[in-house]
Amino acid sequence: MSITSFTFVLFVFAVLTVYYLIPRKWQWTVLLAASCVFYLSGGKKSFLFVLITATSVFLAAMWMQKLTDTRKAWIKEHKKEISKEEKKAYKKKIQRQRKWIMIAALVLNFGLLCVFKYFHFALAQVNAVISAAGGTGITDTFKLIVPLGISFYTFQATGYLVDVYWENIKAEKSYPRFLLFVSFFPQMTQGPISDFEQLSGELFAEHDLLYDNYSRGFQRMLWGFMKKLLLADLIQPYVTDVFANYSQYTGLTVLLGAFMYSVQIYADFSGYMDIMCGMCEMFGIHLAENFERPYFSKSVAEYWRRWHITLGAWFKRYIYYPAAMSNWSRKIAWASRDRFGKFFSDTLPATIALVIVWFCTGLWHGASWAYIAWGLVNGFFIILSLWLEKLYIIWKKALHINESKWAWRAFQTIRTFILVTFIKVLPEVGSLSDGWGLWMRIFTEHSIPHGIHELLPALAENGNKNFCIILAMILLQFIFSLLQRKKPVRDYFTGIPVPVRVTVMACCVIVLIVFGIPASATRGGFMYAQF
Amino acid sequence: MEELLEILNDINPDIDYEKETNLIDGRVLDSLSIITLITRICDEFDIEIGPKWMRNENFNSVKAMWNMIQAIEEDE
Repeated sequence: MSITSFTFVLFVFAVLTVYYLIPRKWQWTVLLAASCVFYLSGGKKSFLFVLITATSVFLAAMWMQKLTDTRKAWIKEHKKEISKEEKKAYKKKIQRQRKWIMIAALVLNFGLLCVFKYFHFALAQVNAVISAAGGTGITDTFKLIVPLGISFYTFQATGYLVDVYWENIKAEKSYPRFLLFVSFFPQMTQGPISDFEQLSGELFAEHDLLYDNYSRGFQRMLWGFMKKLLLADLIQPYVTDVFANYSQYTGLTVLLGAFMYSVQIYADFSGYMDIMCGMCEMFGIHLAENFERPYFSKSVAEYWRRWHITLGAWFKRYIYYPAAMSNWSRKIAWASRDRFGKFFSDTLPATIALVIVWFCTGLWHGASWAYIAWGLVNGFFIILSLWLEKLYIIWKKALHINESKWAWRAFQTIRTFILVTFIKVLPEVGSLSDGWGLWMRIFTEHSIPHGIHELLPALAENGNKNFCIILAMILLQFIFSLLQRKKPVRDYFTGIPVPVRVTVMACCVIVLIVFGIPASATRGGFMYAQF
Repeated sequence: MEELLEILNDINPDIDYEKETNLIDGRVLDSLSIITLITRICDEFDIEIGPKWMRNENFNSVKAMWNMIQAIEEDE
């Protein structure tokens, strides 16, 4: 079921009607049923894999919780009779058992993710080694279809598992409730990757039908559809054409194509989030936010705190901190302290952890060397800023740069936007060499395009209409982003008289139907669904 | 508490730690400072701060950090 289809809109309103008609305490069962229907509409096999993940993680968490409860009860019962060492030994024994349960569940779930996502890539690497040694490679005849949303629900479910292992949360006792947490349909295909504490509080609460939720949710959904259908989908043919034929276009055309790609992916991904967050608001549910005006960031590190926030938070919590604080990481840091000094040994654990995180982030986005390189380039700039931070402060003092000045902040924002755009396009052209080729084209081809048809090739061919809509949407997005600095745009909108508000929304719906829906019919789905 | 304040002042002396209650949520301390802080706390107090303690609320103020250290000592 396509999110941008009329069927999906009807589906949502049917679910909403039932949701608010039945007793409040059973509302979550409607969401579970809707999630099952939504997923089954995408194929039975995909749903089977969701069930495998949900069941294995649910059972493993329950087992770990049972061991935790047993340990607590045993210690309480034998508190007076046992020594500190005996207590410690018992705790260690239980913890070892819990650890093996967690590892088994992690291996199963990440194993499934790796088989579906990375099998072909791994086989290609094996074949490359065999060929280099003069042998004949293994024929890749396997046809694996990646289950819908596997990267997202696997991360969400395993995050819950680790939280239960760390005893930060208690295991959920109801399987249907846990199944809803893993398979909640608005976030199934593209996130956000929620943590159990936050999402379960929203999913299992009783929600009343409130005009405010309905109205604000609808407004956000509408804006999300506009971003997707009137911006991302209209830019897509132009970007695809520039990336496919970059060697034939001028450097300026390719550069503009790269910037337009940044606009497209933001409109596409954040548009999806607006549709889903808006829809959830209509159910009275608040999803975790995934974007905070990322193109207004002043460094690559800040950009990654504001783009795909929940994925970054997952990596930080479950990879970055455990890696940076591990015994081996601290031992390396201590060993280097005398030789290389305090700053080096303090920065080294974070650097090692960042390399691991950015390698994994690259691999999570795609099974190719281009994505791995993309991840590592992002990591390189973040690590570089860590190591050069002190030098940067000295340099700013020497040049008398006032960081609070508007011009300096604008410079930092534009510089970061250019940098992240260049990094972003690297894996999107095709292979790593194509990405490199596109970069080179921008830097080495300096001819001036002759007219609009050469500057905006595929876009100009489609006539002025699409061009005007894209320009208007970019301008609107920019204004909204500036307004959002103080408060949500919907707060400004609420202050407008009702007749004007209704007219504006009706106009938006008409524009969507007339220009957006025909455009979306010929385009693919959402860009982040492929991850 | 004194040892903890000493560690914090060594990492960043420009912060009023006795008043600040939003060290992590307010991004007063960055992730590198947090790792340095944890390493120093582990060495100074001879405790193990596992990932399960890595929650913002445990590091938002000196008091929260001190409570966490005592909870870990009790747990061990």
